[in-house]
Amino acid sequence: MTSELIYNRIINFSINEMIPDRVVVYKSQGIKQEPKVSKKINDLYDHALSIFTQDVEPKGILKEISIPEFAEVFQGNGENEENTPVQHIFPLADSLALFAFTLGKTISDTISGLFSRKDFALAYMLDSIASASADKAAFMVEQKRDKSSKTLLYSPGYCGWHISGQQQLFKKLEPGQIGISLNDQFLMIPLKSISGVLITGKKEIHNFDHDFTFCAQCTTFSCIDRQEHVIN
Amino acid sequence: MNILQQISDQIDLGDDEKVYELTTTAIEQKIPVKQILDEGLLQGMNIVGRKFKEHEIFLPEVLMAAKAMNAGMELVKPLLLSGNVPMKARVVIGTVRGDLHDIGKNLVGVMLKGAGFEIIDLGNDVTPERFIETAKAEGAQFIGMSALLTTTMPVMKEVVDRIRSENLEDKIRTLIGGAAVSKGYAEEIGATAYCYDGSNAIDYLNSVI
Ligand code: B1M
Repeated sequence: MTSELIYNRIINFSINEMIPDRVVVYKSQGIKQEPKVSKKINDLYDHALSIFTQDVEPKGILKEISIPEFAEVFQGNGENEENTPVQHIFPLADSLALFAFTLGKTISDTISGLFSRKDFALAYMLDSIASASADKAAFMVEQKRDKSSKTLLYSPGYCGWHISGQQQLFKKLEPGQIGISLNDQFLMIPLKSISGVLITGKKEIHNFDHDFTFCAQCTTFSCIDRQEHVIN
Repeated sequence: MNILQQISDQIDLGDDEKVYELTTTAIEQKIPVKQILDEGLLQGMNIVGRKFKEHEIFLPEVLMAAKAMNAGMELVKPLLLSGNVPMKARVVIGTVRGDLHDIGKNLVGVMLKGAGFEIIDLGNDVTPERFIETAKAEGAQFIGMSALLTTTMPVMKEVVDRIRSENLEDKIRTLIGGAAVSKGYAEEIGATAYCYDGSNAIDYLNSVI
């Protein structure tokens, strides 16, 4: 991926930069690092990673959007929660860009194939690597977008932005160009894909309290780590 | 060491080739097939399950053991069927219509199989009709549904409602799981149980069969 992301364009990611941290993958599988991860698991990870690097076809798409245009996208089908962090953040942004990213279809097909061949452990390890990699893509664009201020990706399906918001986002961004489609339940195909809006601005704009109505049901609390990263 | 003990040990080690070999030998030695299942294959998986619960091993090791168990089951299952030896229970599982998240459902299926249940996996994007028609045709006692999206979880209610309207509640019970759902949602739609993960599903099924 090249320096700063400021254009409307398709972004090609290098495969090496998509490799997630082994510790993150182990954590997602509940594997404890202490006292020591077994050789069996380490070998499994290495095997899955070699498949991952062969099969992954990472591609992103980015489109600058104005605040009024995004207001319309965010409105979606009118199903958002009444009060959401994003509605307070985006009007304060210096710039906004819609973003989507996919690891491609092959990796999902390979995971399914491994399961059918009863290679359960390998399939699950590959799945976890791919999930962590898709998450990493968000972090990478956030880092590279604009070094003079702070960028975070906010996604439909999180923090009160209803997942049906994908429809408006897709209309504007047209990620079909990189092979992502949306089914009628707003699920992106291929599965290992992410979407959202990159909000760039002063670090303070990303700061919000975690007392929205939906916070009570949240199981991920990923916003806390993400905020800490840009604010501190 | 007796051969059933060896099968159990090799399951614990996750060696599918050894389990296949040893199970073949056990069958040739005319050991009753139910005994091979209970004292070899299931015994091995019980040990693995216990170690997993006590955090001695992790999910990848359980899945390697499950693959080894499967290698033995391939040989044993046709004999169980031809000898009319009943399996624990038959469970139809799938990810509901509109949802393609199947890794969690797959893991649950593997773990249930490892615990001796017969699993009919319908894959993902499964309609209510398919769940119910398959359960009826196969004489399954349970339907297990998975959903990761709030937009797809209402399909679970459709299944539960249809079971009720067809008066099948006494014959087919419903289990739900996945990130979108909760115990509260299971109660709200009248599903029989909410299962947090595969171990939880095994515990639930063992407690009711
Ligand atoms: C029959 O009985 C049973 C019994 C137990 C059963 C069962 C059935 N089925 C499951 N279980 C249970 O046992 C299994 C084994 O322990 C478990 O199965 P799971 O499938 O839950 O577990 C898997 C083994 C591992 N878990 C997972 O793979 C999902 C984990 C979470 C964090 C997650 C991940 C990793 C990802 N995601 Co995303 N993702 C989330 C998830 C939040 C969460 N806490 O679960 C969820 C599902 N995602 C969400 C969203 C919004 C999205 N994701 C997206 C993307 C991604 C990644 C690509 C980064 C990645 C991979 C996705 C994948 N699964 O392939 C996007 C959509 C992708 C798409 N294709 O459309 C996107 C839309 C975000 C975006 N706009 O980009 C949320 C959905 C919210 C909603 N409104 O519906 C979400 C709940 C996160 C959140 N907000 O808290 C149990 O649930």
